Amino acid sequence: MTIYAPDRVLAASNWVGRRAPRKEDARHLYGRARFLDDLPFEGGAIAILRSPHPHARIVSVDTSRALADPRVLAVVTGEDVRRETSPVASRSVTAPVTQYVMAVDKVRWVGEPVVAIAAVDMFAAKDALDLVDVEYEPLPSVADVDAALAGDAPLIYDDIDSNVLVHDEIAHGPMAQAFDDAAFVVRETYRVGRFSSTPLEPYALTVAYDANNEVYDVVANDQQPARSIGNITKALGVPTANVRLSVPESGGSFGIKLAIWPYALIGCLLAKRAGRPLKWIQTRTEHMLGGTHTPDVKMEMELPVGADGKILAMRLRSKENDGAFIHTAGIYGLIKFATAVGPYTIGAASIDLMSVVTNRGPVVQNRGVGKPAMTFALERSVDRAARRLGMDPAEFRLRNMVPPEAMPYTTPAGEIYESGDYPETMRRALELGRYREFREKQAVARAEGRLLGIGLSAGIEPGTSNIGYYSLLKGTTDYNGSSEGAVVGIEVDGQVTVRTGSVDTGQGHETTICQVVADMLGITPEDISFDTFFDSTRSPYTGQSGAYSNRFNDVEVGAVITATERVRAKVRTLAAYLLEAKEEDLVLGDRAVHVAGDASRSVAFGELAKVAYNKVVLLPPDMEPGLRVMAYYRNPMAKPPDRGDFNVQLTHSNSVHVVVVEVDKGTGMLDFLKYAIVHDCGRQLNPAVVEGMAIGSTVHGIGGALLEEFQYDDAANPLATSFQTYLKPVAQTVPRIELGHLESPCPYTLLGTKATGEGGSITSLAAIGNAVEDALSPYGVQVNSLPITPEKILRGIRDGAPV
Amino acid sequence: MTDLGTRTATPTVRVNGEDVTGEVPARMLLVHYLRENAGRTGVHVGCDSGNCGACTVLLDGAPVKSCMVLAAQASGREVTTVDGLDAPCVPALRRAFVEHAAIQCGYCTPGMLTNATALLRDDPHPDEDAIRAALKGNLCMCTGYQQIVDAVAAAAAEGEEASR
Repeated sequence: MTIYAPDRVLAASNWVGRRAPRKEDARHLYGRARFLDDLPFEGGAIAILRSPHPHARIVSVDTSRALADPRVLAVVTGEDVRRETSPVASRSVTAPVTQYVMAVDKVRWVGEPVVAIAAVDMFAAKDALDLVDVEYEPLPSVADVDAALAGDAPLIYDDIDSNVLVHDEIAHGPMAQAFDDAAFVVRETYRVGRFSSTPLEPYALTVAYDANNEVYDVVANDQQPARSIGNITKALGVPTANVRLSVPESGGSFGIKLAIWPYALIGCLLAKRAGRPLKWIQTRTEHMLGGTHTPDVKMEMELPVGADGKILAMRLRSKENDGAFIHTAGIYGLIKFATAVGPYTIGAASIDLMSVVTNRGPVVQNRGVGKPAMTFALERSVDRAARRLGMDPAEFRLRNMVPPEAMPYTTPAGEIYESGDYPETMRRALELGRYREFREKQAVARAEGRLLGIGLSAGIEPGTSNIGYYSLLKGTTDYNGSSEGAVVGIEVDGQVTVRTGSVDTGQGHETTICQVVADMLGITPEDISFDTFFDSTRSPYTGQSGAYSNRFNDVEVGAVITATERVRAKVRTLAAYLLEAKEEDLVLGDRAVHVAGDASRSVAFGELAKVAYNKVVLLPPDMEPGLRVMAYYRNPMAKPPDRGDFNVQLTHSNSVHVVVVEVDKGTGMLDFLKYAIVHDCGRQLNPAVVEGMAIGSTVHGIGGALLEEFQYDDAANPLATSFQTYLKPVAQTVPRIELGHLESPCPYTLLGTKATGEGGSITSLAAIGNAVEDALSPYGVQVNSLPITPEKILRGIRDGAPV
Repeated sequence: MTDLGTRTATPTVRVNGEDVTGEVPARMLLVHYLRENAGRTGVHVGCDSGNCGACTVLLDGAPVKSCMVLAAQASGREVTTVDGLDAPCVPALRRAFVEHAAIQCGYCTPGMLTNATALLRDDPHPDEDAIRAALKGNLCMCTGYQQIVDAVAAAAAEGEEASR
């Protein structure tokens, strides 16, 4: 099957593939963008009282003093939530646990909402938190997976008899044979800490309740509003049309803003009580406490390798510390199947996945979801295997890579790598990163006692989620993420308008979509008005609409193209009728339809639209009035759930990172001497946008690899609750990243595009880990955990302890 | 409730050349005063702990994080926000931010631009290290900084060209 059809889709080649300047930029450069807190608003404010305990029974909640404050408008407690909403539905957990969006009976993490207060303004709401009297009975708590799985561990959910929410093993291919045939097996345990993309704008929302129509009007910087509407209406027990959700400009998301709906639900309860609109602006500390993290994960990996240097299988036991919120539990384990065998021809793979509850905060999808940790473990083990064979790690990878002639390649689990030249990506990356030259420099440096290390990592970056794989655990098909909707129209004055079911959170969707539509209709981006803001009353959303999972340039662009093609077809038919010409003789250009070779015969879009909307008697007798089309598009590669054969995601970009670092023996700090990436994300619609995301996602990975960790103490008290204790990469400390491209069009998307946006965060962790271990090899120090802090490096240098 | 909850202040802050006066809680931060009383919503809040730089403004010409200053402390002083930047380097900076794709979500952009303006005003020819050092107090979660650094360098080069 081939869907790739640029010649059919595009009527011109003026904009697609160009570094078109972004239409979004001007408003930001003059401070005119309207993020949620910038919108005109009259009403009160919400503040949330959060648990100070990692685990405690709630003995009593007394809000009478708060309610007596004349500035307080309304109060909602966990008991109110239990009475008025249905429990949280989990995406993949089948264990019979009950949880609400606020603490009921027990608190399970520091920061869990206990009481929410609406007051006349922000100061009043926050002051009133001091007037709530909550009596807690502290309970023993657990912070990590080993403690949570111990026989005497306290139970965090009373309705099940362990702290395990999900445990399953899914295996494909001849695993036993692989171990029998192996010359050796690389066995290692890896740990990756909790980190987050921490969007610069935290969660924000307003809610107004219209009592006459019983409609909750929610505005929130939500990145997946379609699912939020479903979650909120289901929890409130109201019809879809009784919750309106709109999304303004959003200051970054990265997956983190997939979890705003619990707060919107709390806001709905408060706004109805308060009788006036309310606003909630999350503070940074709340954002960090609220558990917008990756899970920390412990991964035991086995890699059996043959005497010929071929990797025979990959076996992983993955224990995710999913904190104490069931909605997203289990996701990070399941999604690892998307990149379980990396870019290699590994014939058998199995993942034993376990989602463990602890008293850490909840997890949410973060840029790359599970695949960064998966790639870290695999690519670290690949390096170990190469060393064991005495083979150069580049050569070992080349020997195991899927060759281009094997495309499309299906992994043991059923993931379909549709196109790409993985060995060539590697070869070009080695060249761009001056790999051989740095190997020589390394020899010299070592002779001088300097710690120079070179790291490689080859990663797969999938896009478009076939969310159906969650169904493997639940046994029912709840979701599938492979579709999107769009409305494209030519308005009565000839202006082209576009709106989609999704949102933009900084990825330049407006610019990119306008480039595509411009070339489809022979116009310019300036001729197009793109509706940037989602509104559930007018946006053509599907069940999983949103900006996540690298799906934009597959299904969102696909929906826009489909709608535009239908508009274009109608325009041509109408123009042929009015010009008394043959459709095949018509060409589009300059906001008009022309008869090729006859400059005197043309009709402007505006005139066509006037006929379509106003002078409808002039239409062909069998033609419907109007020039707007709503279309839905789906990527047809999504397979229904089947444990024996499933694909987690639907497009697959690939990259190789080459990293050179020098470690300072005295301080444990490291310097980047080189950071080179060659990646292949298929056809690029706007290379400047693509490069921005490739570099940005890599720097996110650098943060996770070296700096960022939501540390907790043994009792699960959070230790990193602001940017003073949770360190982010800054301009001064990140390396310059050199980028090279290959362009293997994806056969399964209309314009050959593939995943773009998460690649750097998936592939970088291992590249850095490999570079540091290589640097520390004179001391025999292994790198088995992230982040790699100076403290860990110094300890390694001092006593050989693994990092 | 403490005094802080009820005390008010009536600062007069000169914002982009116009005096803005208002009775506000004494504990109100300058960033909120600029947003709520002066309508300068281009000044963003990203952390309220002085770490992210999204609220950077020029206070008597110096780049400061306006979440680290009380509104009352700014009384009688001059504030320039992103929409009021008028140094000679600003048009080149704005152009360069577009040309170098230095903007993704745009939330950090006003703070970055404000800080970069102060940099180029004081040091018209910074090298890359100087640019990176100057911007180290402004977090950007989207770009990885490279395109922002390149934009500032390009604007500086343009200034150099013009001054020849």
